[in-house]
Amino acid sequence: MTARVGGSPNRVGGIGRVTGGQAYVADIHLPGELHAKLVTLPVAHARVLGIDAAAARAVPGVHLVMSAADLPAPMPRFGPQYRDRPVLADGEITYHGQPVAAVAAESRDAAEAAAALVTVRYEELPAVTSVAAALAPGAPLVQDPSLRPGDPLAGTNVLREHRVGWGDVDSTPADVVVEGTWTFPMVTHFAIEPHAFIAAPDDGGIAVWSTIQHPNWLQRIIAGLTGLPLSRVRVFAPDPGGGFGGKQHAKYEPLVALMALRAGRPVRLVLSLEETFLAVRRAAAEVHVRTGLRLDGTLCFQDVRADYLIGAYVDIADRVVGKGSYLAAGPYRMPSARVVARPILSHTVPSTAFRGFGNPQVNWAVESNLDEAALRLGIDRLEIRLMNLARKGEAFIPWDTPADGDWAQVVRRAAELVGWDRPAVRGRGRGIAVGIKSGPTTGLSYSTVRLLADGSVVVYAGTSDMGQGARTVLAQIAGDELGAPLDWVTVVMGDTAVVPYDQQTSASRSTVLMGNAVLAACRDIQARLRAIAARVHGVDEAAIRVERGVAVLPDREIPIRELLGPGLGRLGGELIGVGETRLDAAPEHPLGGAPAFFEFNCTAIEAEVDEATGDVTLTRHVTVSDVGKAINPLQVRMQDEGAAIQGLGHTLMEHYILDDAGRIRNLGAIDYRIPTSMDLPVEMVSDFVENEDGPGPYGSKGMSEGALLCVSAAVAGAVRDAAGIRIRDLPLTPERVWRALRERDRDDSGAASGSEEHTEDDA
Amino acid sequence: MRPFSYARPASIAEAVALLATHGPDARVLAGGTDLIIRLRDGSARAAVVVDLKRIPELDPAIREIGGRLVVPATAVMTDIGADERIRQRFTALAEAAMVVGSVQIRNRATLAGNLCNASPAADTAPALLVFGAEIVAVGPDGARRVPIDELFVRSGETTLRPGELVTSIELPLPAGPLGSTHVRRTRRRGHDLASVTLACSVDGAGVTRLAYGSLGPRPVLGVDPSGTLADPTATAAARDVVLEQLLAGASPSPRSMRASPEYRLAMLGVLARRALATAVARLAAGGGGARP
Amino acid sequence: MTAPGETRVAIELTVNGRGRAVEVAAHHTLLEVLRDDLALTGTKECCLVGECGACTVSLDGRIVDSCLVLAVEADGGSVTTVEGLADGARLSRLQQAFLDRGAAQCGFCIPGQLMAAQDLLDRIADPTVAEVQEGLAGNLCRCAGYEQIVGAVLAAAGHADDTLLNGPASDPDAAR
Repeated sequence: MTARVGGSPNRVGGIGRVTGGQAYVADIHLPGELHAKLVTLPVAHARVLGIDAAAARAVPGVHLVMSAADLPAPMPRFGPQYRDRPVLADGEITYHGQPVAAVAAESRDAAEAAAALVTVRYEELPAVTSVAAALAPGAPLVQDPSLRPGDPLAGTNVLREHRVGWGDVDSTPADVVVEGTWTFPMVTHFAIEPHAFIAAPDDGGIAVWSTIQHPNWLQRIIAGLTGLPLSRVRVFAPDPGGGFGGKQHAKYEPLVALMALRAGRPVRLVLSLEETFLAVRRAAAEVHVRTGLRLDGTLCFQDVRADYLIGAYVDIADRVVGKGSYLAAGPYRMPSARVVARPILSHTVPSTAFRGFGNPQVNWAVESNLDEAALRLGIDRLEIRLMNLARKGEAFIPWDTPADGDWAQVVRRAAELVGWDRPAVRGRGRGIAVGIKSGPTTGLSYSTVRLLADGSVVVYAGTSDMGQGARTVLAQIAGDELGAPLDWVTVVMGDTAVVPYDQQTSASRSTVLMGNAVLAACRDIQARLRAIAARVHGVDEAAIRVERGVAVLPDREIPIRELLGPGLGRLGGELIGVGETRLDAAPEHPLGGAPAFFEFNCTAIEAEVDEATGDVTLTRHVTVSDVGKAINPLQVRMQDEGAAIQGLGHTLMEHYILDDAGRIRNLGAIDYRIPTSMDLPVEMVSDFVENEDGPGPYGSKGMSEGALLCVSAAVAGAVRDAAGIRIRDLPLTPERVWRALRERDRDDSGAASGSEEHTEDDA
Repeated sequence: MRPFSYARPASIAEAVALLATHGPDARVLAGGTDLIIRLRDGSARAAVVVDLKRIPELDPAIREIGGRLVVPATAVMTDIGADERIRQRFTALAEAAMVVGSVQIRNRATLAGNLCNASPAADTAPALLVFGAEIVAVGPDGARRVPIDELFVRSGETTLRPGELVTSIELPLPAGPLGSTHVRRTRRRGHDLASVTLACSVDGAGVTRLAYGSLGPRPVLGVDPSGTLADPTATAAARDVVLEQLLAGASPSPRSMRASPEYRLAMLGVLARRALATAVARLAAGGGGARP
Repeated sequence: MTAPGETRVAIELTVNGRGRAVEVAAHHTLLEVLRDDLALTGTKECCLVGECGACTVSLDGRIVDSCLVLAVEADGGSVTTVEGLADGARLSRLQQAFLDRGAAQCGFCIPGQLMAAQDLLDRIADPTVAEVQEGLAGNLCRCAGYEQIVGAVLAAAGHADDTLLNGPASDPDAAR
């Protein structure tokens, strides 16, 4: 398969992934390393009265037991938005899983044995673990008001109120108003690679290895906590084994770094899967939607109140809520809209970024509500979307980036692939929904590209390749522009001492922002090559173009590789290009900057429902995304299909189940179910639209979150269509579906339930 | 995991002696797919782990002896599910064995382990109840047989005496043709713990045996000697009366997070009817019939 | 180093065709010994309860979750890990198919997927889609690259299932 842009070469870094040679953080060992283990309490909220580590310290091999008392006062705190998260619990724990102490020992066994011997005296305090409990009058405050100086909401568990809107919803006329409340559960990332951290004193500085997605952000946090200059904090970020947002921001790196500095030795902390459940999750949400429409289906207003249940510390959750709810009115022409979204603090695991970034929660509500409106009005659910969808160039949010794609084309393609115009097979139903998400609103990516004397290329990019395939895409761009075959291109990532700054790997930004930086660096080199070609061939520089691997002279084309020998001369050397992509903040914009692009997806589902058991079988799952340009079509497909299946997880089976003490009952892989290879749709069909109308290289847009956004609404729409039941709470477990079926039958008073005398095999 | 020592007895007698010496500090290791999880999470502790897999008397080969099929304590689910005699004559057991965990788990997990853990959700237990299996236990006082229905007490507790270990499970070969099947409810299609697990058999005399688990502290067996359930000419109402009696032993826990009692009970009825229909159809087709 | 209360046992294993004599802690799993004692880190650790399959290796010709097997249980046995699949620098047919079909995304589950897939192909040379899905159901992939993984296994078995690479069928009923 061609390696050029638009082709699907084998993944760069793929060989290590199929041979076991790829070194993830947990595979790295340093001489003299100590193994760390966290000490936690079996409750969600407690006052810590005392910590006795004598027995733990007596365990042979134990070097260090660290608790708040061993850290500076006031307790160092960190966080990407608020500096609220303490390195270790400081007198109080506010969620189940928060570490109160940590042990470092010569072996994992010794660390585990010692951690079990740390005795913590504590007084359990009441915990709030739901929106209702957190908002109840007199509810215990999750964050001490002293952490929120000058904040009028400091005396409540409401962190903030995000308001966005236009027009006047209350005075916008509508023929019908459809409203409903929809809930979305707490779910967790469940990357198969559990988070892992290593820190080591490094000649007066410190080196940190982490499964982090944002190495430069981590570098800044560690520098801030240690007082070291950025240049003495070296962050190694080997390709993560799945991130999905859960590895964006620092979690235990500050703790491990301070332990390593204290011990004077490397310290490693590899979380168990259970510990990752207690470290990262997606915000739950309760979303109330009022949609106003005219009788012909034209949308009049969207009125959305979304309460997101975030955790005990903010992490990036406030941004998740603000940005995730910003497009709640959808990709539609909307005369007026009002969105009020609140992050609600609770005594639960801090929620963080997770693929879709707050959008899946509101999308589930708003798109499902639109389905109900269509049914009420007797309008086809595809038609109601098409008639309201913003056309390309239309300012569907009055002040913001206009619709940047032919979205109707995407929707029509999905409808075609699911066979919307034909009746479904008896017993099956169909659903269709659209999803939209803002791309990055600010950004800064640098890349350095070196064209070596033999024509091979080294690309330096601070992006993390956590599976999405950034390494391959960036290699394709550089190889294509500089005329090098893919196996002549090396992409260096994940070392802040070597690779120039990149703000972050998030919001599906890397192909656009880092891609443009790599492209700019290649252009920088191409400009030098132009001068070289002019000099070597005695042609006026203005008459020469250098692009896509060749120098185009008036009378001929010369491959770049052939220019290099004569151009660089006997000493050889190399050409170095530097590229920068900057997306500056716009402080007056509600998001602090206009989206660089929108991710747009349409998902169409065909499903059948087992009337006796409530089982939902997806017979066909269609996902179509607007990607601008597929630089690597195979990777586009694998990312979209993966996102679609991940979406099926929270749609059909995933949720944290909490006990009365606020602990996660289904902690771990046995009772937290994610889709296996047997839980796939009978048919998965993915496609994409390419109009080369994006801001990235060759007209590309960011992608890979889009296919997750509207899965829930499309599946629930298909279930509604197949069985006549509307479920407003995710996930759609067989039991929930069964209950809804029974309710339906009760309402239909007298209709046979059809649960008897089935002869098909259930196995 | 907390440290323990490891013993690899060369005979059943040696294993029994080890259990006698160490008492509750000794844990019997067969497949390990449950024990190692529990040793790691701290819900089980051991000073010594006694591995049965190298005892020549416990060779895992499944054998037919004197009208009984003998499944040694070391036989794993993969081999039980693949055994042609089990597939043909104890179809429900073969089917149950093949839904225990993944390929990896089935390659290690043993039938004996599945029983000794006494999980109410053990998938093989209903089939063994239906087939009237007996376990052979050996202890300081020698060997004894325990009818499977007398083995289970409640989750994690059996009638095995201290120091006893199960050496085999024995299934009486049915005299005539038998139609049977195993069905279950899970939260996803991929492997999972059952929220209802059920086996059903129907013999040539019309006797239906129905057993179910995950619906109370222990799996429950019900028998319809009247022939009503297997009788295609019986009215639905007549069959419902009998079925209700057979299923009356269900008492699912309200504390489970896998499914509510209400749903479990409803699914018990659904699965029982489906399984009955399959078993009857298989009997009519001459018995046997585990899918490949 | 030896932990308190720990019993050490000398065992012999054949790992990827090579004999290894190693003294292990009695309570250490095969996974721990492979990764920590033998530095074969291709086998991954995730759930430690036999659900995710990241630690899948072949033991005496059968795949197991190495997190649920004590190393001492494997004494005298023959273990194949992901590092044993390639013939030197030459990838196995299955590994090559995983690469060609884009089956590896983040890659963390892939060693286990490969071991399970190889085992499946050793048992069933020409599997159906359902058989592949069943055979790999003990191996979670959170990138959810299941379509590509299944496609790779079928490709390695000799199926020419090109729909996975060539885009969707335009007729929704065509593939039914």
